[in-house]
Amino acid sequence: MTTVAIVAITIGVWGQRLAGAFLVGPLLEKRPALSRAAALLPAAVVMAVIVQLTVTKAGSLTVDARLAGMGVAAVLVWRKAPFLVVVLSAAATAALLRAFA
Amino acid sequence: MTAPSGPPVAAPRLSRADFATMGITFFSLGVTLQVLLIDNGTSATRAFIASAVIFSATSQFAYLAVRDGGGSDLAGIVAAWVVATRFGILAVSLNRRLPKGIGRRVLAALNAFDPNVAIAVQQTSPQAVEREFWRTTAGMMIGWFLGIGVGTFLGNVVGDTSRIGLDAVFPAALLAILGNLLRQRDGFVAGICGALICLVLIPLVPAGLPIILSVFGAAVALLLSRQPVSDTENGSSA
Repeated sequence: MTTVAIVAITIGVWGQRLAGAFLVGPLLEKRPALSRAAALLPAAVVMAVIVQLTVTKAGSLTVDARLAGMGVAAVLVWRKAPFLVVVLSAAATAALLRAFA
Repeated sequence: MTAPSGPPVAAPRLSRADFATMGITFFSLGVTLQVLLIDNGTSATRAFIASAVIFSATSQFAYLAVRDGGGSDLAGIVAAWVVATRFGILAVSLNRRLPKGIGRRVLAALNAFDPNVAIAVQQTSPQAVEREFWRTTAGMMIGWFLGIGVGTFLGNVVGDTSRIGLDAVFPAALLAILGNLLRQRDGFVAGICGALICLVLIPLVPAGLPIILSVFGAAVALLLSRQPVSDTENGSSA
């Protein structure tokens, strides 16, 4: 990570909490449709990060053991498995596939 | 996760087991993030400082995902900001339920994360909200700082991180953090749309843009929503 990135992301992460709580939040309360969109934003954006981390390698689409690990994780999250079970099962699936491939 | 005890309709308080789980969860997130940052070419000291001051694994990972794909520093920073918008939303729902007082509200808002807000907003009185919020936060912080400490040492030892499936850990952890939101219809639609937008755009546009443009997934979900427009709560937990 570059120094610029560390500083900029730090300001963005901590600043958005204050901006949300004291500026944007009170404004959104009068606009229900916008506040609904804001509540759905994390689902859309974090899923995009998940896609990027699961099926790309150096910028291009790749299918490998990570995708199988994510399949297992998806089922476990759906079944409301504890956090550590989800994470360890995904890692174990990817590692085992690579060991036997 | 723990057997219910005491009066039947008590709000879920953080038991010792929950406290430990929170600590272990953030410990494992911290270790993983550190090992992957170092594996990605960031020096151990720099990686430790970054994780200690940013204190947001999801934002750091959004940045890493963009940079790994060949995206510019700026695109990585913007992606990290976009991912952090959820903290603003979490701070809003927490803020409404806290006892009055600007100082304590600022301090709490600055520490709004997915799991501590999810637990806090289930409490019935403002005092209980504040107490359970800070207890959860304490568990998370202890775990996080121990985790990034241990991860910084392990980072140079682990070697090939994909051999032990470490590259599958972070997307899985993100999915678990989002779990509650994705189990609701609108949240699920938003998630699928965001994922599809990103997937389609990856081969077409410069790295970083697919994640930034995935914000439109939320708009699509809103258009497809069956719920009447009303203020809904958003709580997700790790």
